[in-house]
Amino acid sequence: MASDSSLSEGFLTTRVDAVVNWARSNSLMPLPMGLSCCAIEMMAFAAPKYDVARFGSEAMRFSPRQADLMIVAGWVSYKMAHTIRRVWDQMADPKWCIAMGACASTGGMHRCYGVVQGCDNFLPVDVYISGCPPRPESLIHALMDIQEKVRNEYSVAQDGHFGNEMPAAAAARPKVLSSVGADAINPDGLYHQQ
Amino acid sequence: MSKKQPTTLAFRFTPADSAAGEDSNPHAKASTDVEATLEALASHFSDAVEEVIAYAGERTVRVDRARIIDVLTFLKKEQGYTYLADLGGIDRFTEDDRYEIMYNLVNMDQGKRIRVVIRVDEDSMTVPSATAVYKAANWNEREVWDMFGIRFEGHNDLRRMFMPDDFDYHPLRKEFPLLGVPGSLPLPPQTPSGGLTLDPFARAHGSIPPKSFDEPAGEDD
Ligand code: SF4
Repeated sequence: MASDSSLSEGFLTTRVDAVVNWARSNSLMPLPMGLSCCAIEMMAFAAPKYDVARFGSEAMRFSPRQADLMIVAGWVSYKMAHTIRRVWDQMADPKWCIAMGACASTGGMHRCYGVVQGCDNFLPVDVYISGCPPRPESLIHALMDIQEKVRNEYSVAQDGHFGNEMPAAAAARPKVLSSVGADAINPDGLYHQQ
Repeated sequence: MSKKQPTTLAFRFTPADSAAGEDSNPHAKASTDVEATLEALASHFSDAVEEVIAYAGERTVRVDRARIIDVLTFLKKEQGYTYLADLGGIDRFTEDDRYEIMYNLVNMDQGKRIRVVIRVDEDSMTVPSATAVYKAANWNEREVWDMFGIRFEGHNDLRRMFMPDDFDYHPLRKEFPLLGVPGSLPLPPQTPSGGLTLDPFARAHGSIPPKSFDEPAGEDD
């Protein structure tokens, strides 16, 4: 076989991407943004019974500088949102995000004034998990989805683009209300107060 | 196979309504039987006690709001109610004297509980602070201020308990919309130099929060 012949020569050819992605996907270090009840399931996910060490992600890092996967586990209050975005911005590229549970994905049963209706309003979420709370298996599944995503990324070629805004995002953003700038809109004009 | 009869699915209440005004509530044990305290209150504060409510075997004393500190001090010092278990606000919305503040007190030695309430009208939303009598009232009063906008005179640190300091509303008032007032609680900016996101449903309206930004230029760049 062809591969036999190359191996018998004593070398192996591959893409740098494949090696880098293999390393990255099997050593994801989660930052446990445990905000409420879902965090209990996230602990089970790391503990021996479900044992995420099998996937190389047992090292939970509470310092954003050492983490590359943020697990938002629980509901996000408006007060906390600013802290979470700040922690996210402190994480080094490349980084990924899991919205764990109904609350982090959509606000869930907390359809009220104090809870952000989905952390994707201010965070770029890669994988959403349904459930209240999701079982640890679901979180492992989400981690495997992230691994799948990482393995299919152009890691080397794309590193040059990290830090730049994606064109699609720039086009979509002016619709969003902002307090300053040309697109500043008075929110009263868009909503009818109940 | 036996079919489940609809009656077995009936939702059952704690018999609170039928127990109103009686002492037959099985959940209210002797701890809420506080006749001696009620008599002492009636004799010391005959002008301040406005109403004694017996509901489901529990006693609630409504007192004049101007005298609440005297009443609490008396209950603590003379009657042994040394523990303030809870303090909270109630919005009765359409009633006169719209707000109520309730104090749940416990006598640890005798195992007795009593509830004291005062009423607050919308025109004068200031009540004396109980922190001088019960230190535990501190955070509860901050919460009542946060949620209902009732000021506590004499409180040494009346900041909001839960909501951000610059929030304009008092969300537990009945007229406050459940989903809040759009724009009153901003989300983080969409770009580092951008303004705060005022749209609570930014994602649904097309926002794709960026993953990361260029590092700001350092001094030697
Ligand atoms: S999804 Fe359920 S378990 Fe998770 S934070 Fe929300 S309420 Fe708690």
